[in-house]
Amino acid sequence: MRSRAAIPALLALLAVAFLASLAFGEMRLSFSQVLAALQGGGDEIARTVVRDFRLPRALVGMAVGAALGASGVVMQAFFRNPLASPGLLGVSSGGALGAVAVLALGPLLGFASATLWALPLASVAGAFAATGAVLMLAQRGAGTERLLLSGVALNALLGAGTSFLLTTTAGHFEVNAQILFWLMGGLESRSWEHVWMGGPPILAACLLLLPLGRPMDLLSLGEQSAQSLGVDVRRLRFQLILLSTILTAMATAVAGMVGFVGLVVPHVMRLAFGPDHRRLLPYSMLGGATFLLACDLVTRTFPLGLRLGVVTALVGGPFFLWLLRRPQ
Amino acid sequence: MNSAALHAADLSVPGRLEGVALDLGPGELVAVVGPNGAGKSTLIQALAGLLPAQGTIQWNGQSLSRILMADRGRRLAWVGQEAHFEFAFPVREVVAQGRYAWQDDPSGVAEALAELDLTHLAERPATRLSGGERHRVGLARALATRAPIQLWDEPVAQLDVRHALEVMRLARRLATEGGTILVSLHDLRAAYRFDRVLVLDQGHLVGNGRPHDVLTAPLIRTVFRVEATFVESLVPELPPD
Repeated sequence: MRSRAAIPALLALLAVAFLASLAFGEMRLSFSQVLAALQGGGDEIARTVVRDFRLPRALVGMAVGAALGASGVVMQAFFRNPLASPGLLGVSSGGALGAVAVLALGPLLGFASATLWALPLASVAGAFAATGAVLMLAQRGAGTERLLLSGVALNALLGAGTSFLLTTTAGHFEVNAQILFWLMGGLESRSWEHVWMGGPPILAACLLLLPLGRPMDLLSLGEQSAQSLGVDVRRLRFQLILLSTILTAMATAVAGMVGFVGLVVPHVMRLAFGPDHRRLLPYSMLGGATFLLACDLVTRTFPLGLRLGVVTALVGGPFFLWLLRRPQ
Repeated sequence: MNSAALHAADLSVPGRLEGVALDLGPGELVAVVGPNGAGKSTLIQALAGLLPAQGTIQWNGQSLSRILMADRGRRLAWVGQEAHFEFAFPVREVVAQGRYAWQDDPSGVAEALAELDLTHLAERPATRLSGGERHRVGLARALATRAPIQLWDEPVAQLDVRHALEVMRLARRLATEGGTILVSLHDLRAAYRFDRVLVLDQGHLVGNGRPHDVLTAPLIRTVFRVEATFVESLVPELPPD
């Protein structure tokens, strides 16, 4: 498949996934019912289901998928390693610790952790604190390897914090369940507030990333060669870390921990369409959005209490292995 | 190719390079030699503005630190000692990255590919090349910049004898056309073909002049700790064009 057909094909797939996530669920709607509801017609229940529940859920899912796909592309170019993923520098672990802290400590401190904004805000704060810490730890020279190792160390530290909070709340069944749910990611009961929370920053960061595709091509083949060819590497690296942190932080804030999307989507796109970042970025955004909607559909369709983060790994893992086994 | 001169004074990189002063003029083909760890790569990287270095570097009298990053890509080209490509860009696209500072205007890419004998590999993913082929891709990318100053770090160490000679012939031709070419080498015999030789030892510039004047047996004994005599007829030649 070559690039000319890619955008229409990916858009078509996204549209199918989008309509399907509006139609499927506990209450099965036909596509004509969905379209009528979107236009403000049809019967009232269908309208409520589509416009108040499924539409915001689908929009949040698209934003999260696009964000993780794009962030994965950025990390892979940044570290010149196709195995890099959005969580590498501790952004998602930081976001997780922030959210888990609110869930675990909120009841003790006497404020309602269920407050709509408290959880995402704590998550974003945790994510940015983690990025800030990694950048500070790695500042002298801030070489790629040092940054990577700082990220590994920080991931371990933040993971330990999350585990600690998880075990200390082990007696409080409800709190514990909330934490576990959050750690496995999900789009249940996402509302329009979540759309407004996550959508605009993710959209803005995606739009700001698109023009960086060309210098990312050069960076992905070496920092020094990129700089010698006229890329302002220091500045580009800063822009990439900042935008990737925003994307991962906002995705984590509105959907919890969702793994594998940022690793598998850029890979699939690169295998299908080549490594040119001017194309890889938009393709991975569209592909990520589609993949996340499809995985969310699976969580709704199979009544096993499957969590989104579990499905992305369950679907993504074997697919990825199959891709890697294919002869080049 | 337009011409430019490079001037460096009191150039230091802590622990690696100390107080190096040198001038490279248009039309000059200059080799830098020295034992492992003498500072050859550091010198070349510092001159290319890729390292935080103390001292001054001037490009045609203009301080390098005042030249915008985007402009440097048109003025200086650098080829590193190691060429690794992690992503499967086709060779043609890697070479075309040399045109980044020219708003990706593709002129000269095909010539650069031909010059380094890469035309038949143009569509091959850069991840599926041998070490020597990757080096030639790096050189072609530097050539595509059309930068008047070319700084090549051990460009021939991994090449077979024919391609090594062709790269040397290319360097000579670029110099004849007014380019300024600085090449680091391990093969002292090849250094005799250059207009000038710089000798680095433990970060200091200990020799700077015409090869026969600089590469004397006493200097080679002091710097490289080997006894050496040279028989020029052993230097391989390409057949004339």
